[in-house]
Amino acid sequence: MAHANAHAIKRRTGLMDWLTTVDHKKIGILYLIAGGFFFLVGGLEAILIRIQLMFPQSEVVSAQFYNELITMHGTTMIFLAAMPIIFALMNAIIPLQLGARDVAFPFLNALGFWTFFFGGLLLNVSFIAGSVPDAGWTMYAPLSGTGYTEHHGTDYYVIGLQIAGIGTLIGGINFLATIINMRAPGMTFMRMPMFTWASFITSALILFAFPALTVGLAALMFDRLFSGNFFNPQAGGNVVLWEHIFWIFGHPEVYILILPAFGIISEVISTFSRKRLFGYSSMVFATILIGFLGFMVWAHHMFTTGLGPVANALFSVATMLIAVPTGIKIFNWLFTMWGGSIKFTVANLYAIGFVPTFVMGGVTGVMLSAAPADYQYHDSYFVVAHFHYVIVGGLIMGIFAGLHYWWPKMFGRMLSESLGKVTFWIFYIGFHLTFFVQHFLGLLGMQRRVWQYLDGMGFNNMNFISTIGALMMGVGTILFLINIIITARKPKDCGNDPWEDGRTLEWTISSPAPEYNFAQTPLVRGYDAWWHEKMEGNTAMTPVEPIGPIHMPNASILPFIMGIGLFITGFGFMYSGEWGTLGFITVGHAVGIIGLLITFGCMGLRSLIDDHGFHIEEEEILKDQGVKS
Amino acid sequence: MSAHSHAEDHLPHEPERATLEGRNKITAFWLFLGGETVLFGTLFAAYLTLRNEVNGGKTGDELFDFALVALATALLLTSSLTSVFALQAMHAHNKKALINWLIATMVLGLAFLGLEIYEFVHYAHEGHTFTASAFSTSFYTLVGFHGAHVAFGLLWAGSILYQLTRRGLNTTTAPKVYLFGMYWHFIDVVWVFIFTVVYLMGKVG
Amino acid sequence: MASSPTTSNHSNAKQTKPEGSKKHIIAFIFSILLTFISFALVMAGEINTDFIYIMLVVLAILQVFVQMAFWMHMKDRGHTFAIIAILTGVIVVFTCVIMALFWTRW
Repeated sequence: MAHANAHAIKRRTGLMDWLTTVDHKKIGILYLIAGGFFFLVGGLEAILIRIQLMFPQSEVVSAQFYNELITMHGTTMIFLAAMPIIFALMNAIIPLQLGARDVAFPFLNALGFWTFFFGGLLLNVSFIAGSVPDAGWTMYAPLSGTGYTEHHGTDYYVIGLQIAGIGTLIGGINFLATIINMRAPGMTFMRMPMFTWASFITSALILFAFPALTVGLAALMFDRLFSGNFFNPQAGGNVVLWEHIFWIFGHPEVYILILPAFGIISEVISTFSRKRLFGYSSMVFATILIGFLGFMVWAHHMFTTGLGPVANALFSVATMLIAVPTGIKIFNWLFTMWGGSIKFTVANLYAIGFVPTFVMGGVTGVMLSAAPADYQYHDSYFVVAHFHYVIVGGLIMGIFAGLHYWWPKMFGRMLSESLGKVTFWIFYIGFHLTFFVQHFLGLLGMQRRVWQYLDGMGFNNMNFISTIGALMMGVGTILFLINIIITARKPKDCGNDPWEDGRTLEWTISSPAPEYNFAQTPLVRGYDAWWHEKMEGNTAMTPVEPIGPIHMPNASILPFIMGIGLFITGFGFMYSGEWGTLGFITVGHAVGIIGLLITFGCMGLRSLIDDHGFHIEEEEILKDQGVKS
Repeated sequence: MSAHSHAEDHLPHEPERATLEGRNKITAFWLFLGGETVLFGTLFAAYLTLRNEVNGGKTGDELFDFALVALATALLLTSSLTSVFALQAMHAHNKKALINWLIATMVLGLAFLGLEIYEFVHYAHEGHTFTASAFSTSFYTLVGFHGAHVAFGLLWAGSILYQLTRRGLNTTTAPKVYLFGMYWHFIDVVWVFIFTVVYLMGKVG
Repeated sequence: MASSPTTSNHSNAKQTKPEGSKKHIIAFIFSILLTFISFALVMAGEINTDFIYIMLVVLAILQVFVQMAFWMHMKDRGHTFAIIAILTGVIVVFTCVIMALFWTRW
């Protein structure tokens, strides 16, 4: 009865295909392209920062522009580059690892992407508007308030991130529901691949951390746009309250960044050691513990704000505790490699390079966690060195490993290994050159976020070396882009399992995967489900159902339009003071309301119009199978 | 073509869980409520920090109208009960009763909202405006966010009513009703904390 | 799409036990009662403030527990992830609230 309109397969092509897709694989690619683009923007900002700091007292950029650069570099890299690329991999791979045909809510998945995209766009339009966020990516009050920042820079930050944050929250809930409800038969939680486990915990962190950011951004917006008093001491507000709220979000955020990388490393190291991951249960437990403890340590960003010795001590100890489960993971990776048959593919180079680099970042973290010592480190380049070691040396290396590893599954082609190796070494050496010296700069007393430093302080040589390293990382990034381009020209001829040592379900289907992922849902009989079958001499997974018509969700333009609506709303409310009035309402408010009507109107349409999807028929599935054999 | 009573006879006992889509929606909504817990919790924490900063204006003790708050609480609590009856009617496949209990819930919710708006206007006349102090900003943000959730819930319920009357009760509309019920209970739970922490503790000082 | 054997199906379990209104109405009366006691405590005056604070928190938690267990079915089977989701949110909030109180009152 309900399938009356479900038979016509309406497949769009070209641009409309990409604007309306609800397919997790395509959405993953969209995240990768957008995240990759913003990575280049953030990277350019970084290079400009480093060029300004190459020599003492230089004036390559103005002080105002420098503040904008450091603010946008941090904001862009964290929210618009790193997280979207993580989402790209999660989107592309999790359903495949679970044996599922898509995520739980394909429409919401698309909505999550477009809200992120338009939020990021709004944030960067600030450059064109001439009011760029410039109070640091942490936007501390009162600097971020109207008292000290009258221009709209902070508003772009607040509204752009609020919109992008909605997308992230949607994605988090989507992955959680998918993993809870849509695992293939036989896949208990303790048989899930580590990347999926890590993504699961990450998604839980997103779910519980982003609402705090939502509140903080809303409070700042109320203070700025509606004369609220959250952070206004003259009316009883409290500026340190901003720090609390921000870091209650901000600390789990950095675990959101690193846990997926941990998952990738587990996959890559065990695959290319041809050996089962050592200590799987303890890995799962450690990941959960890191996630949980991540909510208990936020005030280690605030040791110098006068919380008092008791609070400082508690947060110190809690922070040090996180080193324990992290150490467990490091040792498990090492024990996985020990006795394994190691293949030094580019993915594995990044993964193996990750281990000592992340440890270096981790131990400086423990140094920072000692509150009395932090009084010296705080706001110096020592902190900058620490977090770049864990984020770039950790997360970005993990991302490169994951991209090389899963590129054939996403695109049907393998990235060039020889160019990849050159890229790796240039990037890796450049990375250490850039940030290792920054530890010493910090210990020598160089403050962070400074536009210039004086001559004769002993900072000159190390800043120069650091900039050279940054330029090397830039070269490495360009080489990676070139790799992508030359790979795109190769024929799409990868087999199901191009690394030949695949252990998990994604390697049982074609590369790239067919539209419906699995012609037949597989039966999972153990951890490393595919490896399990291989060791028993099987050449394919056992299916749990016969080949039959597969129900697929319809594509939709609504997510794209909803994103546009939010974009318009942001603009309207931000400029409500400046665009004049229209009777009893300002033009800005009117524009904002129109944007909201667009978005909520689409939401209403989505709710009121029943969408029953379509079916892919048996003939098409059999044809796909025929081509493969 | 809307489902008629013969289709409802073929409905499974818990129609909201009969499809994977329905089960996914319920799971996801529980997760969303976990996130909303943190959202309101952060607002509460901010309120607790700022509740004594009245900037020379009236304190909660001097401002709050307890008869009004008690009445509003009774209204919201009763609307939560009527939403339970609505869900029971749904499980009994009784579309008419479901719709009537849903309307009752909406009427009570609307009354709650009306009282709250009246209350805010009254406070504003007493000098307790959004911009008056840190206390007032955090008060209106916390209680206002709750009120906004109630308002959104009413719009949502209206949309569900429309779908039930046009398309009837089936495995597509049932999860929507169930989710609304969860949402409505949750905002009642939040209200318990609001009247406790904001109003009652405000009175005690 | 294959319905997975790992996902539970509640239809069978519930058919044997018809839903009654009694438990829900009792939960409602309980909630009214707890609310009334809270209001009475505050309006009575002359009671130790610290005691009132503790009682208010206890009464609120009790009422929330009643509403979530009965009205939101959290005591019924199949709600493991529901409990985990809400509990985790509560733990995060609890940490924030404790810190807020510690920060402002100590």
